[in-house]
Amino acid sequence: MTNYTLVIDTSAGTTVAVFEDDQLRAEVNHDESMKHAEQIGVAITQVLADAKIIPSQITQVVVGRGPAPFTGLRIGIAAAKMFATGVRAKLFGVCSLDAIAWAELSARKESNQPVLVTSDARRSEHYWALYSGLSESGAPILVDGPGVLKPAALEERFAAQDYVITNKKISAADLGKVFIAQQKDGTASSVVDALYLRDPDAVAPKVLRDFGKRVSG
Amino acid sequence: MMTLKPEATGIEIREATKDDLPAIMELERTCFANDAWDTQSMRSEITAKHTYYLVAFEAGSLLGYAGLSKLAGNSQADIQTIAVDPDFRGRGIASALMRQVLAQAKQLEASEIFLEVRADNPAAQGLYRGLGFEQIDTRKRYYQPDGIDALIMRLDISMQNNLQPLVLGIETSCDETGIGIVRGNTLLANIISSSMDEHARFGGVVPEIAARAHLEALLPTLEKALAEANVTLGEIDAIAVTNGPGLGGALMVGIGAAKALAVATGKPIYAVNHLVGHVGVDILERGKLETPTVALLVSGGHTSLLLVRDLLNDVELLGETIDDAAGEAFDKVARVLGLKYPGGPEIDRAAVGGNPKAIRFPRGLMLPKDMEKHRYDFSFSGLKTAVARWVELAESKQEEINIADVAASFREAVADVLISKAVAACVGQKVPRLLLGGGVVANSRLRELAAERCAENGIELRIPALSLCTDNGAMIAALGAQLIMAGQPASSLEFGSESTLPVTTVQSH
Repeated sequence: MTNYTLVIDTSAGTTVAVFEDDQLRAEVNHDESMKHAEQIGVAITQVLADAKIIPSQITQVVVGRGPAPFTGLRIGIAAAKMFATGVRAKLFGVCSLDAIAWAELSARKESNQPVLVTSDARRSEHYWALYSGLSESGAPILVDGPGVLKPAALEERFAAQDYVITNKKISAADLGKVFIAQQKDGTASSVVDALYLRDPDAVAPKVLRDFGKRVSG
Repeated sequence: MMTLKPEATGIEIREATKDDLPAIMELERTCFANDAWDTQSMRSEITAKHTYYLVAFEAGSLLGYAGLSKLAGNSQADIQTIAVDPDFRGRGIASALMRQVLAQAKQLEASEIFLEVRADNPAAQGLYRGLGFEQIDTRKRYYQPDGIDALIMRLDISMQNNLQPLVLGIETSCDETGIGIVRGNTLLANIISSSMDEHARFGGVVPEIAARAHLEALLPTLEKALAEANVTLGEIDAIAVTNGPGLGGALMVGIGAAKALAVATGKPIYAVNHLVGHVGVDILERGKLETPTVALLVSGGHTSLLLVRDLLNDVELLGETIDDAAGEAFDKVARVLGLKYPGGPEIDRAAVGGNPKAIRFPRGLMLPKDMEKHRYDFSFSGLKTAVARWVELAESKQEEINIADVAASFREAVADVLISKAVAACVGQKVPRLLLGGGVVANSRLRELAAERCAENGIELRIPALSLCTDNGAMIAALGAQLIMAGQPASSLEFGSESTLPVTTVQSH
């Protein structure tokens, strides 16, 4: 049976792709980082139309789990969960940084140099993950991370290490290729929880009043 | 016959005239390449006395048309044709046209409606079945030159339920993930998953925590709602979703979810106003909304006074809070008093046995000088500060603080202002009805005072069940169903979240 895979990633812009088994059928990219809610429905409709398939043909949905600034990331994951439920497809999650690692590693297969992938985490921080080569099927091999650090701390952490740094754009086509390789390796994951890597900004009030002893009535 | 305003919807549906003929013929030839009617036949169809043709326009372009034929004295009517521009299908235009045509047929006292549909057009057949049409016969090779069979379908229009769409509503504007399902005016499921407990230690809703919780709760809430309503996603006619007002990041989870579900299932989507949803929810209990009505919506995020002359077309904001929402004031004062979050129920409990007249806390924006600019507006920030000062002063004097008295007096001040202004709005606008909504409606003193003052002033008071007063998906589904039944076209897939969406925008496109 042919597998039709819909890939969604909203960790940076909105990027969606459709695969027929291993073959990329269509990809749609919107680069704006603040328009995910507006673009997600149109992007999915467009990529399905470009791939000339109808929604119910989709058998697998793959979503990028980040790490990424939260608001946009959630829109893609929410959409992936609902789309998969709507067409009764299987749902899978992939670390979004894997897509960047794949793009870098597959372009320079000869070198053994590890690849440090970074992306903008805002607040002068970077998300990062370190990869070393590709698996037999072509999935990037994660050796450290993902994490979030200030640029100086990131530099310090990997000071002793030889690596190539990359911050390429995330593409759903690349993410799909990572997933297909993971599926062949038997490492595909159905976990789609967002990789937030940061706690919500909220401070509990320090002292709540205690009227314990003086309360009457 | 209702005509939709272009500024309100983007898509205008109105009766066709002979001036529409060129545009109709162009679309006719696009949609029916091999068996288009000729211009002369179309002209006589549109202008005949026994026919009723509707056209749907957006920005001056014809997107679709539909025609009905009904001879005087005949109880049977026929759908003559329906066409929608291929680039604009899936937006509910055909459904909107059909619903308005059917409404017209009903007005002309037709009891049965017939139509023919190509056997190779399952999308159209699905639309007609969704409206209650049933196949009664087949005409072999009816469509020439293609040689395609026609299915003859019939609708018994006396069956009211046929026009009651099954709508799934998604609400994520604050800290409740709500998914509800209605059939027309009937509630089938109302499932709410709240992240309230996670906000407790912060003393108020933390937007990021709320948004994270929505993402987690989506699928379990959807599953429960479908199970409770005993329907499948395939049976749903449309998806409705809150796109504002509310917390941006929280709203966007629901929007992303609703859009993907709409695309996956091929259903139209309706982006609706959260506050208008709170008003429309009364339909689920009474079968209709009595209008005009004043509505007082009070929660942790809103304190709004609305005048509703017509749920879908005429909602006016009379006033709202200029600082804190009433629910927020309860939360903050609870903290001052060492009580837990959420403050409303805690203060309600603490106030039992307390004297509401023990301390005269200030009533915001109630002075004569406020009346000109803020007659129907609210302010609770001064009241919250007054309570904090009173407590600090008592502490500094080493006086014993009677929590029950403070809680009762504070609660009295809030309820007094809310109900005074709501009743004043009813009297001032000559509207003998008041509808309450929002989570603060759970407050016992607010309900008591509302009942008292409404009775004194001859105002009919409506308080929906608490599960329908707090944020929920059923009210969103109900508002979506009202829009569909009124023949409103679906929203596009392009709308975004609108944190400050005005109540005058019932549906976003």
